[in-house]
Amino acid sequence: MTNDIDKILTSQDYYSIRLESIGGLGANLCGKMVGELGVRYLNLNSAGFSSYGSEKTGTPVKSYIRFCPAEKEIRVHSPVVSPDLLVIFHQALMRDQSVWKGCSGQTSVIIALDMGQEESVTNLLPDCIRDCYVVNARQIAMETKSRINVVMLGAMAKVMGFVKLEEARQICRDNLGRKYPAALEGNLKGLEQGYAMVQPLSETTHRSWKEDTNSGCSKKENTYSDNDQEWGYATAPIGGVNPRAGSTVTADLSPSRQGYIPLFIKERCINCGLCDSTCPDMVFQFAEGEYNGRRMMVNQGLDYYHCKGCMRCVSVCPVNALVRGDEAEHPKKQYFMPNQDMLRTPDYYVKAGPDGYITSESYLTEKRIEGGEV
Amino acid sequence: MKQVVAYASGNEMAAIAIKQIGYDLMGYYPITPSTQIAENLDDMRARGETDLVMIAAEGEHSAAGICYGASVAGGRVINATSANGLLYALEQFPVQSGTRYPMVMNVVCRTVSGPLSIKGDHSDIMYILNAGWPILFAHTVQQVYDFNIIALRLAEQVRLPVVVAYDGFFTSHQKRRCLRFEDDQAVRQFVGLKKEPYPFLDLEAPITVGAYMNEPDLINNRYQLHLAMCEADRLLPKLFEEYGALSDRKYNKVEGYFHEDAQELLVLLGSSYETAKEGVDKMRKNGKKAGAVTLNVLRPFPGEELFAACKQADTILVADRQDSYGAGGGNLSLEIRAMMQKYGGTARIRSLVYGLGGKDFFAEDVEKMLDLARDPEAPDFDYYGVNPGFGTKPEEEAGFFAPLTQEKTKVGATLVHRDASGEVLVDGGSLNATAAVPKRIAPGHGACPGCGIPVNLNLLLRAIEDPVVLLFQTGCGMIVTTPYPKTSFKVPYLHNLFQNGAATLSGVAEICYRKQRRGELPPGDIIFVMVSGDGGMDIGMGSAIGTALRGHRLLLFEYDNGGYMNTGYQLSYSTPKGARSATSHVGVKQYGKTFFHKDMPRLMAATNIPYVATVAESNPTDFIRKAAKAAFYAKTEGTAYLKALSACPLNWNDIPATERKVIEAGVNCCYFPLYEIEQGVTRLSYAPDAAGKKIPVTDWLAMMGRTKHLCGEEYQEVADSLQQEVDRRYERLKMEAQAR
Repeated sequence: MTNDIDKILTSQDYYSIRLESIGGLGANLCGKMVGELGVRYLNLNSAGFSSYGSEKTGTPVKSYIRFCPAEKEIRVHSPVVSPDLLVIFHQALMRDQSVWKGCSGQTSVIIALDMGQEESVTNLLPDCIRDCYVVNARQIAMETKSRINVVMLGAMAKVMGFVKLEEARQICRDNLGRKYPAALEGNLKGLEQGYAMVQPLSETTHRSWKEDTNSGCSKKENTYSDNDQEWGYATAPIGGVNPRAGSTVTADLSPSRQGYIPLFIKERCINCGLCDSTCPDMVFQFAEGEYNGRRMMVNQGLDYYHCKGCMRCVSVCPVNALVRGDEAEHPKKQYFMPNQDMLRTPDYYVKAGPDGYITSESYLTEKRIEGGEV
Repeated sequence: MKQVVAYASGNEMAAIAIKQIGYDLMGYYPITPSTQIAENLDDMRARGETDLVMIAAEGEHSAAGICYGASVAGGRVINATSANGLLYALEQFPVQSGTRYPMVMNVVCRTVSGPLSIKGDHSDIMYILNAGWPILFAHTVQQVYDFNIIALRLAEQVRLPVVVAYDGFFTSHQKRRCLRFEDDQAVRQFVGLKKEPYPFLDLEAPITVGAYMNEPDLINNRYQLHLAMCEADRLLPKLFEEYGALSDRKYNKVEGYFHEDAQELLVLLGSSYETAKEGVDKMRKNGKKAGAVTLNVLRPFPGEELFAACKQADTILVADRQDSYGAGGGNLSLEIRAMMQKYGGTARIRSLVYGLGGKDFFAEDVEKMLDLARDPEAPDFDYYGVNPGFGTKPEEEAGFFAPLTQEKTKVGATLVHRDASGEVLVDGGSLNATAAVPKRIAPGHGACPGCGIPVNLNLLLRAIEDPVVLLFQTGCGMIVTTPYPKTSFKVPYLHNLFQNGAATLSGVAEICYRKQRRGELPPGDIIFVMVSGDGGMDIGMGSAIGTALRGHRLLLFEYDNGGYMNTGYQLSYSTPKGARSATSHVGVKQYGKTFFHKDMPRLMAATNIPYVATVAESNPTDFIRKAAKAAFYAKTEGTAYLKALSACPLNWNDIPATERKVIEAGVNCCYFPLYEIEQGVTRLSYAPDAAGKKIPVTDWLAMMGRTKHLCGEEYQEVADSLQQEVDRRYERLKMEAQAR
């Protein structure tokens, strides 16, 4: 993992980085720190910004950084299309094709990946990339009481190869130290762990992935284009009218979850309906049935496509018929029942996350996320 | 003069300039993407770095009014806005210029609705070309800072208000390395001292401002304004010169890049000009004589300078980030065509509308656009980057859900009737039974995990078994449910503006009733429901009260999460006193929001509508029964109003799983008492004190990161005052409830 930034910048205009994340993991702040790092400690010019911007928790966020020589002016304002470094903050995002946009033989990829998940994700990697690194950011963040963004910052410093650990530590101190001295120590530990623990995708996995590639597996080709719009001026109803009633049902929201799901223990359920009354995501599927010899509405199961893992239901259930479970331990979910009102099963759950897409980034939000006040 | 490096965005640099200038007052209303300016300044205020008076208005119209009043009174005044906010305040701007009170306003350019988009284009700024304000257009982060400083000097010298415009997101949010003066004094010396020709607050020499003026005088007043604009035109080069000497950054009204010998010239505004330079470089490498030109000043229009920069080109392509629909180009195109005519230019001019709604502009687009412009067959005016789409028309697709007809929704889980004495009674409404009512909103919406809005909407709608028509005011609730090309709604749904939803829904309802009377629609009850956050009830309070006073048969539903959460949590009038928000920071000089939460139900009760009630998810059956009653009044008598306390885990800064407990604590501490005012009679639905459940307000405040600080000794006075206010309101409520 060595790169000479000066040499890179003689053959190309910018060294470009794209962060792919989910609102709440702190990619925006991470991008800001990386950008500032370039200006303050690497003797480079840099520009950074985020996609504006899903700052709603759980929605996809992209952040972009460009480095160039200090004396060069950064004039482009467009997002990074062909990144030199692509950093994926949540493994579930790998299923969203837009994440891979513009990947090429010069792209290094870092993925925040849970332990033991290598095999399951390799078939999502496009074949064209230069190399791939993984880091168990979630675990490191939990152990060090830091956040995923600083772990990823550490991993990026290592993979970029032209950032010294101390420089990354310093930018972390600059940004977090003054405002949140209490959280600084944990964040620095997280950063150091990220730096130390990031590693190339293991030899065997790597090999099988490359072999697969050689056999010409077509789904690994990166053909994503922003212009594949089904609705354009010739097909969309005038005025922005939307006749697709209830069509958000096609969105798969499972990547919004932070590792936990509610588990249903049906034999305990008294069908009180409190879960249904507290769920913001219409997950509970009640239908007419019989309970204790009475005709009533009976809980049939959960629509895990739309569960965002908020655990409101677990907290209100009076009889512990809903309990919190580690999602990784439950690849097959019992009582998984897709929305029962649907006339047809959508054959596509298009995006990896919900695509509500608005809000400015708030300083308060950033601070909340930085400070670990929760 | 000594300067230091900053790595900052346009909004941050605007805030730094404003702080350094030492303005007296900012009147503002948050709107993306300009909000960060006020947020940054409030943060500086809390830290004691500025003593700027900041007034968060209840809407842009009032914000502009506050600024006008403050400037008349002799203050140095700043505002910042965007898009619909600018349009909402529009009528104030000609008054500001016509009565000749200088101030500065940052316009962070964004698409004007609708359909609603928050991204950047120039459709807002072009609306104020005729307002009598000089307009400086910054295309870099550095210029945002520099132009803010120059703008005030210009404003005060010609006695006109000045706009500093720049691109939303591209310039406002992207961080760049730039320079600022180390010492505020350098900036203050440049802008100088404010002079007032007619001091308004001089009681010894009273003046009248705001004359009633007809012919023959008005045209003379306008001519004075025209002369001031001419003076601004003459003054600007001098100010640029003087500022250049101070900063080493010398600007001109018009800027060009390889334009001197360009055969093909791209003229465009804002951040795209910077990107265009990159494109020009690429084309020059391939031997193509391309160039780019932009304007740093939009008003007074620098025709002469622009002509000098363009006259040698064979083809001029004007790229407009907005359209003056039907005129054959955006406003920049039209003005350039007029300019070429005036100065006798011979170049072929073509116009392309591009980048609307913040559609990205890449360096590669420069060559593509110029190729189009060179093509002799190409039309003079067209759009660039549109897409016809493919596939079947959406009307022909199979739906995801069956229509929610009355047969499907009338399950009889909640029954409302009026007894012989005229009292409205509700039966049923249990959680289990009402689970049979199909959900009107589909899952897959983008609300944060644990968000209270869909919870409250579902509790409301499961109580209503008649068909519903929904209207949402702008806010999280509408944003997360209608991300085009998808929608969560399974019933008719309309979004209009942030502030006039109630009025809009009166129009919808009245046409429905008329069509039913005339037999054009089948008879039957339809419940018209407006949904608004507490933000919409700030800016839209007048419209809601007007609707209630007219007594239209509809239901107004407010979800109150105590802040403008959709734009990143700025304070609303319903935010608890002392709470931190992005515009009420906590710091050595500030403890959070400075005034008490608005009592909206009382305001609505004063309109004497038949039904006003508060509801909370912690008391779900009470919620459902009140919702059913409200719907009953909305279909039989007149306006009903319901307000729910609604959790926002993101900005309340608490744990999503525990939100129902937080809401319960909000009820139990009597911050949000549950009651109804039915036909003028107040009834307390739940008395926490009588039930032995009453808790101090601080128990509730301690549950939320936004208010936790109030439980410390340092802020005890604030917490005490909130407790007193809550108790006072609750005691009054109890007295009213007992008095019946």
